[in-house]
Amino acid sequence: MRNEIQAGGLTGARFVDPVVLARVGNLELVARAVVDGFINGMHRSPYFGASVDFAEHRGYTAGDDIRRVDWKLFGRTDRFYIKEYEADTNANFAVLLDVSKSMGFGSRGITKLEYGKILAGCLTYLVHRQRDRVGFAAFDEDIVEFVPPSAKHMEVTLHVLDRLKPTRPGKLAPPMKKLAEHYARRGLLVLVSDFYEEPQAVLEAVAPLRFRGHDMIVFHVLDPAEIEFNYDQASAFEDLESGEQIPVVPESLAEQYRALIREHSEALRSKFSELRIDYALLNTSTPLDQALFKYLSMREQLSRVKR
Amino acid sequence: MGFVAPLILAGLAALAIPVLIHLIQRERKRVVEFPSLMFLSRIPYQSVRRRRIRDWALLAMRLAALALIVMAFARPFFKRDSLAAATQQGAREAVILVDTSYSMEYGDRWTRARAAARDAISGLSAGDRASLVFFSSGAEVAVRSSADRGRLDAGLASAATGPGATRFAPAIKLAASLLAESALPRREIVLISDFQRRGWEQTPGRDDVKLPERTVLTPVDVASGETANLSVTPVSLQRTRFENHDRIAVTAGLVNHSTKPVSGVQLSLEVDGQSIQSLPASAAPGGSSSVTFAPFTVASRNMRASVKLPDDALKRDNVFHFVVSPSEPVRVFVIGRAGAERQSLYLARALAIGESPRVELVTRTPTAFSDADARQAAVVILNDIQAPDDLADRLARFVREGGGLLLATGPQATWPARLADVVPALPGDLIDRTTTTPSRLGALEYSHPVFELFRAPRSGDFSSARFYGYRATGQPAGQVLARFDDGTPALLERKTGAGRVLMWTSSLDLDWNDMPVKPVFLPFVHTLAKYLADYAEAPASLTVGQVIPAPRRTAGRGSATNRGGTIAIAPSGTRVSVETEDGALELNEQGFYDVRTQGAGSDSATALAANVDLGESDLTPLDARELAAAVAGRAPGEIAGLGAARPSDDAQAQAQRLWWYLLVAGGLLLAGETLLSNRLSQSGARVS
Repeated sequence: MRNEIQAGGLTGARFVDPVVLARVGNLELVARAVVDGFINGMHRSPYFGASVDFAEHRGYTAGDDIRRVDWKLFGRTDRFYIKEYEADTNANFAVLLDVSKSMGFGSRGITKLEYGKILAGCLTYLVHRQRDRVGFAAFDEDIVEFVPPSAKHMEVTLHVLDRLKPTRPGKLAPPMKKLAEHYARRGLLVLVSDFYEEPQAVLEAVAPLRFRGHDMIVFHVLDPAEIEFNYDQASAFEDLESGEQIPVVPESLAEQYRALIREHSEALRSKFSELRIDYALLNTSTPLDQALFKYLSMREQLSRVKR
Repeated sequence: MGFVAPLILAGLAALAIPVLIHLIQRERKRVVEFPSLMFLSRIPYQSVRRRRIRDWALLAMRLAALALIVMAFARPFFKRDSLAAATQQGAREAVILVDTSYSMEYGDRWTRARAAARDAISGLSAGDRASLVFFSSGAEVAVRSSADRGRLDAGLASAATGPGATRFAPAIKLAASLLAESALPRREIVLISDFQRRGWEQTPGRDDVKLPERTVLTPVDVASGETANLSVTPVSLQRTRFENHDRIAVTAGLVNHSTKPVSGVQLSLEVDGQSIQSLPASAAPGGSSSVTFAPFTVASRNMRASVKLPDDALKRDNVFHFVVSPSEPVRVFVIGRAGAERQSLYLARALAIGESPRVELVTRTPTAFSDADARQAAVVILNDIQAPDDLADRLARFVREGGGLLLATGPQATWPARLADVVPALPGDLIDRTTTTPSRLGALEYSHPVFELFRAPRSGDFSSARFYGYRATGQPAGQVLARFDDGTPALLERKTGAGRVLMWTSSLDLDWNDMPVKPVFLPFVHTLAKYLADYAEAPASLTVGQVIPAPRRTAGRGSATNRGGTIAIAPSGTRVSVETEDGALELNEQGFYDVRTQGAGSDSATALAANVDLGESDLTPLDARELAAAVAGRAPGEIAGLGAARPSDDAQAQAQRLWWYLLVAGGLLLAGETLLSNRLSQSGARVS
């Protein structure tokens, strides 16, 4: 099955419609198909060797751990040598996924939450392949699920992702404040949400995480219907989170609505750039490559700075 | 405003039921689910038609009465007022931190900082106390916890900017300790600075800075607008040797901390007050460039040189001072057996290579080494000889006066037992490893300066050398720096008097080991010579704020026995007395220091160049909220200290008393509603 997908069914996964991916069901399979397809298209491989690299031999001295003695070399030379390694460091990575009720909205076969789940799954899988520690948190008005970052937590994360359902309305500040306390060690955090809050409130909610020294990437996930607002019949619009209803005549409101959502996105972009957070607006009708590419280019920039 | 029992407010929802029914019935045709009405609700909507409500006043009264009663049961209270009242009661202990780093000389920052500090002092109420602290690289208390505004004003009047760099961590730590001593209920830190990013990021100890509970940090930012600043970089010196004289080529750089490119900026090099050369340099915005001046000859000791830029808004970072002197060789005397020159061949060849420091090698036989030689020598190496008594006495004296001695104990070496207190151990029996497996060097003391160079992986493999013979030692009196694989000491050290003695228990030629043909031999003997000579290259320049041990000259050992006190003359002309023993000199001015030993003649004078920390010239600002959040350990926007304050029971009761008024108002409205509805129904009945 897996070979089939890699070899034939999903070659060129970078062009696969998210709606099709959402139907596959098995998140690990989807992540593998998208990430492998994506990686095959890059020039440079993002795989970074083994986590430990052999450095040198050194003579055994009293007090050394005998488990580190190179016995093959002892067999050849009749002397004790210790093998020494240079350990690679690996970074903490976590996806923070909004699972509030508004994320359950989808107009074209895939909801924002499903898109976010696939995105989180892909990033987790990609990062896990780079031997980094992966973690995950889902939140609405509080933390719903929390998987601490670990090198062994990819399966757990994907399992948790699979089970998520939008149940409650969302509020960004309280869960972010709690999460800032959870992530003590600096790392890379990816926040996925639809940000139905005032830009200043969003900024103040996210600031504690940023001020703890984490590098952050923010993905603003919106459905095409939310961006284009291509409704035509006058209807009562019901808020998914509060249940509030208001009568709307789309023809007269569409222009103003599009201007407001553009303004909102621009305000978020400028606010996040103040905190040096990378911001990307994702439309759920576009393939996942854009998000993955954004993530990888950010990682590349970071590593360039560190060098 | 908050509520003690907010769940009761759910009762308010009942009020909306009739109104909602009215609205929904009208728009029942089609419902579209949408994630959020956040934006749609902002767009003004004009309703087409509404069901008429006849008695607006009655409806309003009923709704208002019910709402008031529900709210009364939810027990509202004013959060901000109550907590602010709790924290604003009582006297205040304030610490006013004033940044005196040299970046405050930029534009009108210093004037604004003084004005801000004066405002902070005049803002003190009766009973408040305040401390005044000036900080740059370190922090200094000018006035300690005083209620006397006159004293605080006088303290502020004495403030001046200095050559230090901004460091927030020590200042906030000092402020926290001052506040911790106070018994007053409210505590505040007023931080007046230009908030340079460099002052907080990449500074050691910033993670340990934490404010005490209930402390408010008020940042006052005196920086404004766009900044433009040029600065020089530390110089790099390229030393070459030409006809027995040192020549130095100076490479200096220009850094442009602004958003506009600069070109044709003249960088000039001055040596001993005379301008030598001037070169133009250009730099892109936020970039840097460097120029290399033509080499000049180092004719005398302590030549004072500076690289200068034309003056700009921040002058202190436009000059970089440094001191150059001719390099002095380390004199090493090798004492070997007469007619056995091959014995020192590898040693001599290895020491002859290298320029930092240059090693001047003199070979002597045991009988030829004189007192005059001992005065000239920095290091003496006894290469496997039987030390005669007079030589041993001379060497013991040499070591006690500060010399360095290396004993290489091959098959011949002896040392008089009566002078055993000079050396780490007496050479003992031969250990022969020619018939069994040859020995190797095992445990090395990598923390010791001799082996520190080889500490990192792949920087010197001592285990490759094979040892076929070495001398056992008795109980060593000094430290063992290296051992053979059977535990026998290979290198020992003893500090005798002011000098150092190292003992190498094998030979320095190929007789007993193959160490001299291993790559590690050359750096090893160089580190031995450097360590024994106590050689340290004098730094060309230092940074203001550094504390250095009083400089002393190593050459001319023994002649400076009449050493008096050491005096340092600061660039401003101030004389600072430095204790001779364990004395230290703190550099707190920018320019050249002149350090002299009294009674030792002008030859003993040493010049030191002190420069400002050039990191300070980067004026990139820091978000003051980030600093406040980091030290308070709280999210920004949450006022530090308020969250932790506990209002008294009385204050709480006071703040929650509102429910009582709401209940009375609700009751009155219900009474009014009864009267009104009776009247309306009566009039309605009459009409019908």
